[in-house]
Parts: sequence; structure tokens; C-alpha cells
Amino acid sequence: MDNNSDKRRVVVTGLGIVCALGDNVEECFNAAVNGVSGIEEVKSVNTDGCYAKLGAEAKISTEKLSDKDCDRSSLLCIKAAEEALADAKYEITPENSSRIGVIVGNCVGGAASIDKYFTDELKNGGGKPSDVLKMPASAIANNVALHFGLNGTTANIVNACAAGTISIAYACDLIRAGKADAFCAGGSDSFSSLAFAGFHALHALDENPCSPFNKSHGITLGEGAGILVVESYEHAKARGAHIYCEILGSGVSSDAHHITAPRPDGQGQMLAINRAIENSGLKPSDIDYINAHGTGTAKNDEAEFLSLHTIFDGSDGLSVSSTKSMTGHCLGAAGSIEAVLTVKAVCENVLPPTIGYTEDDLAVLKEKAGNIDFISNTKREKTVNFAASNSFAFGGNNASVVFAKNPHEIPDRTNNERIFVTGLGDYTAKGRIDIQSDDYKNLGIKMAFWRKLDRFSQLMLVSGMRALSDANITISEENERDIGIIIGTSDGPMTEIVNFQKNVVANGTASGSAFSFPNTVYNAAGGYFSIFAGIKGYNVTNANGVQAGLQSICYAADVLKNGDEDIMVAAGVDENTDVTEYLYGKLGLLGGKMELGEGAVSLILEKESSAEKRGAQKYAELVGYASAHKAVEFGKLKGSENALKEAVLKACESAGISADDIDLVCGASDGLEEVDSAEKEVLGELLKNCTYVTIKDEIGEARAAGAAKQAMQLAITLRESDMYKYGLAVSFGTGGQYSAVILKKAV
Amino acid sequence: MANEEICAKIKAMLVENLRIPEDELEYDSELFGDDIGLDSIDSIEIIAGIDNLFGVQMTGAARENFQSINTLAKFVEEHQQ
Repeated sequence: MDNNSDKRRVVVTGLGIVCALGDNVEECFNAAVNGVSGIEEVKSVNTDGCYAKLGAEAKISTEKLSDKDCDRSSLLCIKAAEEALADAKYEITPENSSRIGVIVGNCVGGAASIDKYFTDELKNGGGKPSDVLKMPASAIANNVALHFGLNGTTANIVNACAAGTISIAYACDLIRAGKADAFCAGGSDSFSSLAFAGFHALHALDENPCSPFNKSHGITLGEGAGILVVESYEHAKARGAHIYCEILGSGVSSDAHHITAPRPDGQGQMLAINRAIENSGLKPSDIDYINAHGTGTAKNDEAEFLSLHTIFDGSDGLSVSSTKSMTGHCLGAAGSIEAVLTVKAVCENVLPPTIGYTEDDLAVLKEKAGNIDFISNTKREKTVNFAASNSFAFGGNNASVVFAKNPHEIPDRTNNERIFVTGLGDYTAKGRIDIQSDDYKNLGIKMAFWRKLDRFSQLMLVSGMRALSDANITISEENERDIGIIIGTSDGPMTEIVNFQKNVVANGTASGSAFSFPNTVYNAAGGYFSIFAGIKGYNVTNANGVQAGLQSICYAADVLKNGDEDIMVAAGVDENTDVTEYLYGKLGLLGGKMELGEGAVSLILEKESSAEKRGAQKYAELVGYASAHKAVEFGKLKGSENALKEAVLKACESAGISADDIDLVCGASDGLEEVDSAEKEVLGELLKNCTYVTIKDEIGEARAAGAAKQAMQLAITLRESDMYKYGLAVSFGTGGQYSAVILKKAV
Repeated sequence: MANEEICAKIKAMLVENLRIPEDELEYDSELFGDDIGLDSIDSIEIIAGIDNLFGVQMTGAARENFQSINTLAKFVEEHQQ
């Protein structure tokens, strides 16, 4: 490979796992290749009255994990990251700390802490406010970053069971774009009554240990964390790091079919797998091993069987297994744990099996397997040059990523096309939106669909559909795969989560609601939106504080520049309900100048070629964007002000302008002293002679929706007024994450 | 016409648990048709709701019993102890 190709190489230099199979990579991989199961009777959740009682819990207690006051999900993630960073011999210094960030996947957030809080509240005389800060998934990446002093950008990818894989894919894309040297990338999830009661209510748990692609008719839940240190090859080489393997391309797609079930025709899964293979510069026949999603539910396994047969029946040497038969389904950690096991398999040429097959089962499998080697019961020793790991999730999100033993040149699809804002969708209000049936019926949404959505998903759906309509985009078979979605949120569907959890605490695990459980995953809103709109491209939700509504624009722009899609919907959404007010009240944030608001704001970002071809309207051009992080305690901002400055300066740099060129700012100040003073200090120092506007007096602190609306406000003002050329929007996330976006008057 | 009290309780349960607008739900509305649009996940919720309200098990009950609030109420009446 020449020097230029080396610049796009991303390698794995450190690994860490904790799960039911062990407390480190060696224990877990040994157990996996030897077919040792981690599945036992569940201990951390009361399974009285449940038809299934098995799970794969990590043996290590929360107390043993750490004395830090964090949710178990964060602690598991820190444990895996500790192993991975030590394995990578990555020395963090003040000079390099801003070049290594944390991108982690998660499904249930701080579910264990939500359970604890409401158990205390309902049964023990009162919940602790400190537990409220442990509830959102937003806290996890920051907790890891703070623990190790990593000050690169963070993201919490909350795409349920595909989150761990998407995190790795995103981290690699950011490294290739030069935005970081390395990431702790992966995922975590703790065992929770939320997930157990939810899958139990859906009758999706197997009463026996799951044995995917076999006779099992449900999943076995697991828990844990997997972290990979992913690093640019040149950085790894310069510091003399040990390189495990290469990470090639990835693929992310959306089923646009059903909120919990995969498409039976496997179309969405195949799009993700095929994209990953193509983005790796490979053919299907090059792939030696796939760590399948393989959950054990009939619907997943049948669809995945079909996908694998359709893509790989022409190849001769593909082996497939599902390590979930031993680790259980670790949800947001699944993709990352499986990635670590896949990397080990690539390095050691030993493949873990799917366990649980009897002689009779093996006979049935032989009939179904065709040309594919479904590894059953015992390990397979073979040379693995290329391996992929698949993850498919609720909401119809699919992801696949390819690992390679040796360097391999991947196609460069990056482009430097200009990006325009071509549509806006606003659905926001101070306090609460008085939702009227016309709000959705006018968009062609029927009550039968609408009623399934929790408030969070409803807000997103209206805003997203309004934006598509404003941009005059009709989704068809022609463009359905060329459009993607990035949603940012601070608090996610916390109302649905809390109500589900309170019912489980009061009435037992067996009483979970099958109706509301699908809405408790943070990516349900993106799922419903893709289903209704028919969008089949990239689909990711990031929970990362208020600024997530601006970070979604940064992420979406990266997807466009990476050549993955032509059009992206970038959105911010947060709800305000009795539950929101209760939780913010417990944190002591209400009663002062800050007032809560809610809603969703979507911006259509479009490549110039696509906008020109359609004759699209142009509100403004997106010319600069950046995120930055300085890890401080979650719940605080003080001490992180420099990261705001860094975000603004980097955004200016990417726009090719100086801070002096900015003549319009839409700020994030919301009446909270910490927020307002940080913004005043930094913007006052950097920006001279510019007009400051705010949207928060109009919609209150609508969190991620407000952040996205700041960008929307710039787009509208730049189009309507001739007074301004460059507009800047900045926002903050508790724990010290910031994003900045610069729009330019469209010419 | 099934028992009014049972129908009212079932309707309240459907409105509360399945977010069906009260004014669009009649006792003879077709639950799994286009208008209300219930699906298999909703039927799990209905089974749990009926069990909670009346202690009547509907797991495995024939599809026609789930047609409307009236048919659900009739099933409950026939199977209540």
C-alpha cells in the first residue's frame, strides 16, 4: 500500500471485554472458542411469575467494578476500556488527550439506576437525586472519558442492539476524516428489569438457553461491555503500538418495516452487509467468517438465514456462528463484544461455535446450511483473512463491519461537495406542545400508526415529515437508500422508560407492557420515522446532552462527505412531560430562570449535486462544523469552557474563515448560570461585532430540539436577510461536550 | 349486546394501554381493521389487560374473540368464574 492509502488505514490496537464469560478478553475468548456458556438463572432481576428465568449476567458485582458513583452500565464500560487502553499501551498526556475520544453504544441507558430510584421511591421512602443523573444514556461516554482523561469528542450511539457495531463504524469514519487519532469504541449495557420485563412481555425470551439458527424460539439476555481501541494506522505506527488487525468498511441501513420485527425478506440486513463488503473493497466470496447477529428469535434467525444464503451461497468458504449462545444478547454491548471476539478470531485463526445443538438438531442444520458452514458446538480452526460482524436492532436498524488480518486498500468515496440546508421541520413549544390530531393527520399519518408512538417518537415524526415536505422530497424506490437520518437527544424517551419501569417496580417483572416496551429504546423515534417515511439509508440516534441536536448536523454532514448518502435528515428531539419536570425538579434545575420546552426540529442536509438535480430550495450552506469535549463530571459544565472555544475555532477552520467573519450567532444560553456564563465568556472573547439571537425565549430549554432549532433559526435568517453572511450556532452537553455549526448565506 | 359494564372497562383499558383515542373507539369498532389498526403486539397487551381486569385467560383464544370490544366482553362473560 502506498502512503496515501496508509492515511485511510484504521487499526485495532487494544481490546477489552467484561461479560458473563469472564472479566477480560482472554477469559472470554477462551470460553467462547471452547463452547462454554455464561447462561444461568438470573440473579439481579426478580423473575417471579416469569415463564423464562435465564440470563447471562457478568459475574463481577457493581461494588467490585468500582467505588465510583456511576450506573452499572458506565462501570462495565469503564472496566472494558481500562483493559483496552492498557492493552493498547496508550499513554494519555495533556498533549494528546483531545485526539482520543469515546464513542459507545448502549440500549437501556441507566436502567439499573432507574429501577433503583423508583424502587426506593415506591418502597423505601424516597429516591436519591444523585440516581437521577445516572438515568440517561447520555452519561456513559462522558463517564468513560472523565475516568481516563480522554478529551476527544464523545457520542452515545443508542441504536439498541446495533449500537455497539455502529459505534465502531462511526469511530473509524471520524478517524479517516482526520478528526481524531483514536477512540475507545464499543458498547455497554447492564442487566436490567427493564429489558427482561420488556422482552418477556413480547414473549421474545427463550425459557431455555438460546441456540441461534437452531430450535430456539427466543433470546437469552446478557450484559457486559466490549471496547476496542481503534486508531489511525499512522498514529499507531508512530507510537510503536501492537496492531491486532485492520478495520475496513462498514454498512448501516434501515429496514423501514416494523418497530420490533426485521423485514422477513432480509432486504435491510442485506443492504448493510453488502455496503460493508463494498466499502471494504471486497466481494462476498472474500469473507471467511461472520459473527452473526443470531439472536435465537425465529424472526431474526429466519431473516438472517435468508440474507446470508442470498449473499454468500455463491462462496465456498464462509463460516458463521452466533456467540450469543454463550454471552447472551448483550443489547447495546452485543456488537462490541462480538467485534472483540471476531478480532481475536481473525488474529488466532480459531472460530467460536454456536452451542446448544443435539444430534437431531445437527441433522436439521445440515439440511438448512447449504454451502455455509454454520459452526456448531465446537470451535473451527481455519485461516481468517476477512471477517464481518452483523448487528440488527429494534427500529429496523442494521449494521455490519469488516475486519481484516492484513492491510487492504478500501475504496475512497469521500467527497468535498458543498452541503445545503434544503428543508426545515419545526415542531416545538415552550412548556408543552398541545398536540392536535390535525398535526399528524395533515401529514397523512393515520391514528392507527400514530397511537403506537410515545410522545418522543410523535414529536420526531411530525418534525421529520414536515422537513421532508418542506424540502419537497418524496421517498421512492429510486432514492430510499440514498437518504439517511441522524437524531440527537439529551434525555430520550424518558417518560415511556420511567412509566414502564414504575409499573414493573410496582407490579413485578412479569407485568411489563408489550405495547410500550418498543418505545423505551432511544432509537424508536428514528425507527418509526424511517418506517413511515420509507427511508432505508443510514439511521443513527445519539444521546449526548442538549448539544446532540447540533452534533446530529455534524454527524449527518460526515455521512454525506463520506459518500454514504446524498441527503440526510439531521434532527434534535426532546420531550417535556410530568416525568421530565419531575426529574429536572429533583435535580434542582427548575424554579429559576430556565424553563423547559419540548419538541423536535429537523434539517434536511443535501449534497449540492442532489440539490441541483432536484432544483431544491436552499436556505443556507453548511460550511463549517465541529465537536469538542473536555471531560468534567456529568451534570456539570464548569471547567470545560475551553472545549467550547475549541469547537468554535475548529468549525471556523473547517469553514475556512476566522471567528471575525461571523456576523450572526444563535446561542444556547437558557437561564442556567453555568451555561450562560460559559457562553458569554467564550463567545465574548472570540466574536466581535456580531448580532446575538436566541430561540430559547420562544421555546424554553427544549434541549436537543432547541440546539437543532438554533441552526434552523440561522438558516431562516440568512435566507431572509441580506445583513448577514456567516451564522454560528453553538451548544453544550453536560459533562463538557460542545458542538458548533456555521451556516453561510446560500449564493 | 354484551354486558355494558364489562365493555366500558375494556374500552377504558384499550384507551389507557393502547393510546386509542376514546372518541374513535365504539364497542363494535373493528379492532384489527384499518381504522384502529391493532396488531400482534397489541393483542399481547389485550390478553394481559383482560387477565388483570377480570382474571380471564385469553392466551390461545380464537381470533374472532378479538374482533371488537363486544366480542371481547362476550368472551369474558362466558369465561368469568
